[in-house]
Amino acid sequence: MNRKISIRSAMALLVVASLTLIGIQPAQAAKTQVTIWSFGNVIEPWGETEYERLNPTIDLKIKKNSMDANHQSLITAFKANTTPDIAAIEVSYSGFFRNYPKYFTNLSGLVPENDYLDWRWAQGVAKDGKVIGIPTDVGGLQVAYRKDLFAKHGLPTDRAAVGALWPTWQAFINTGKTYVSKLTTAEKASCKTKKVCYGFIDNAGTMYPAILNQGTKKYYETNGTLIYENNAIVKTAFTTTATALNSGISTRINQFTSDWNAGMMKGIFATVLAPAWMLDYIKQQAKSTSGKWDVADLPGGGGNLGGSQLSVPIAAKHPVEAKNFIKWYLSKEIQLEIFKRYGLFPSASALYNNTALTGYKDKFFSNAPIGQIYVTGARQLRPIYEGKNQRAIDNYFGQALAKVAVGKMTASAAWADAIGQIKKNIRD
Amino acid sequence: MSNAANSLAAPKKRKPTNIFKSDNPNQPQKPKRTKRSDRRKATENGIKALNPNWGYAFVAPFFVMFVIFGLAPVIYSIWIAFYNWDPLGDEQQFYGFTNFTDLIVDENFWIALRNTFSIWFFSTLPQMIMAIGLASILRNPRLKGATFWRTILLVPNITSVLAIAIVFGQLFGRDFGLVNLALTYLGMPSHIDWIAEPLPSHIAIATMITWRWLGYNSLIFLASMLAIPAYLYESADLDGATKWQQFRYITLPQLRNTITFVLIVGTIGGLQVFAEPLTLGGNFSGGDSRQFSTLTLYLYEQAFVNNRWGYAAAVGIFITIIVIIISAINFAITRRISSEDNDK
Repeated sequence: MNRKISIRSAMALLVVASLTLIGIQPAQAAKTQVTIWSFGNVIEPWGETEYERLNPTIDLKIKKNSMDANHQSLITAFKANTTPDIAAIEVSYSGFFRNYPKYFTNLSGLVPENDYLDWRWAQGVAKDGKVIGIPTDVGGLQVAYRKDLFAKHGLPTDRAAVGALWPTWQAFINTGKTYVSKLTTAEKASCKTKKVCYGFIDNAGTMYPAILNQGTKKYYETNGTLIYENNAIVKTAFTTTATALNSGISTRINQFTSDWNAGMMKGIFATVLAPAWMLDYIKQQAKSTSGKWDVADLPGGGGNLGGSQLSVPIAAKHPVEAKNFIKWYLSKEIQLEIFKRYGLFPSASALYNNTALTGYKDKFFSNAPIGQIYVTGARQLRPIYEGKNQRAIDNYFGQALAKVAVGKMTASAAWADAIGQIKKNIRD
Repeated sequence: MSNAANSLAAPKKRKPTNIFKSDNPNQPQKPKRTKRSDRRKATENGIKALNPNWGYAFVAPFFVMFVIFGLAPVIYSIWIAFYNWDPLGDEQQFYGFTNFTDLIVDENFWIALRNTFSIWFFSTLPQMIMAIGLASILRNPRLKGATFWRTILLVPNITSVLAIAIVFGQLFGRDFGLVNLALTYLGMPSHIDWIAEPLPSHIAIATMITWRWLGYNSLIFLASMLAIPAYLYESADLDGATKWQQFRYITLPQLRNTITFVLIVGTIGGLQVFAEPLTLGGNFSGGDSRQFSTLTLYLYEQAFVNNRWGYAAAVGIFITIIVIIISAINFAITRRISSEDNDK
């Protein structure tokens, strides 16, 4: 009996002790912690510190993940009701989450809808009409090119003349062929001896999403049926990219690898298809090439790659504070500020006439009127429908193109391979 | 009371004789039997006051945790493997055995299986040899700062996999990677594409795994080497055996059980290789031609990229079956080895 009591009191002591430990909180518990799950540079550091300065009672807790992992953990978090207060969702995943509005808070009326690019706004509207996300940036796509390398290889350097070189993607490929034909013998030999291949473009595989996004539909009809096999723009994007991969204009470097960063510094390639959000990355990675870059128009009209939205999950602990932050961070004024500081191109079309945006220049890119160039590109864009398993389908086409790139498959075999894989692996 | 005390003390007394097990082959069976009957007596007389039901309370934490985090997910996985499971959807479509029949003819799955075993081979076997070698070096009594060396061996093990992957990603870069640079200086004419080619990519991943686990396994080998009685070496010295002969005929046979243990743990780990190929390739398909897609990576890809949770669950069940088969083989080998020990 005695022993039982002592065990009980020991248990009680343990419980009390653990409760006390849980009870001890950091001194600044008075602040409301708003948790944000993000990736890349959706929430820029300035936005975070500035908002916390303006709202001393708010503590923004940002958890950054890689792009895919961010969305994958969101799915499990929705299931387990452990969501953050704010979730950043990329457009290629917005088509997936649009099918599940019940997990999101309605954000309709939070910000003036008319301030935003209409088709970007539509990407944050669920299939039942509920507004589940407010657009952050538009990944307006242009061609960033090295002026010094263009001059060395007999191409014009002026951005208007450069843009005129490639009205179409085929012209872009031809320009690339001219460029690589003027590589020095040593540079040409380096591909065989050291497998360091000099080229015109960093990775011609990046042309695929660029061309695809110039259409209005990709893999899905707006009612959700799969059309990847018969949609002409998919086939065009695929074959054009395969042609480019086989034409020797591309290095074999993948983007966002260490080889890519090094290649940018060493001038292994002369062009990058650069969404607005990538310019800051180039600036950070290739500091020593400042002033040698410029930005020209994309072949085939404006282009788009990426862009995100901010959402408030239904299980958010601080939905009011979360909405307040979104309202502030995605307002046109702050979007302009973010553009100036980091180059994220605003989704707030209300800014597109603003001289602060259109007149924006960057020394790194030879004082190119980056604002004006990207505004012109964004205006040419047509709305594009993003479907449910689009990211997965993108992966299969990308893998097939990579097989073309390393010479393992012909373009038509790779196309058949991709279609076969998608049929087998994608249910809807 | 004295009886109980006796039985508790008895095995301890016998212990030294156990080490000589190989010398007197007819002994081992007997003491076990007496031990068991003694134990029953012990509960009857000696430690009577302790309520035997308390035993359940003591083991409960493990079983509660196991049911929640082990058994429940397993049952759930088996359940959803029969559905076309939509992770966020409300109603699920029953599929029957479709997921399983699809999986058997899924070439990507077999590629993943092949890769997994290839990576396992390249990471386990060289690692084992190196670990035994390292352990022999550390065992040398003339080694200065032995504790320091033993401690730093564990540093790779506590380094984050992500950090390792970033560093190794740089080392194995095709164009400007250090490994290729070194190979060039050694006279290799062309650069190896460590990521795009199947075999080099397996070796690159195996190198990451080896680097991470080598120290850990060395310490396990070291511990069991230190347990080898010194008189064996002394008598070998007297008989004029060389260092190599001592290693070959004393150390290695004595390590047999440890080798089996390391092999089993390595195999289980090898079947779960995930973070290394993921971070090396940067995507979930394990390279563009699936050249280093592993079983667990494939499971993850089906669940989280393709949103086919039911199919992923079926992949999981197949992995379980494979693990069971391999464990059975391991078990059989271990039993044979230990019976060989007894026969000697």
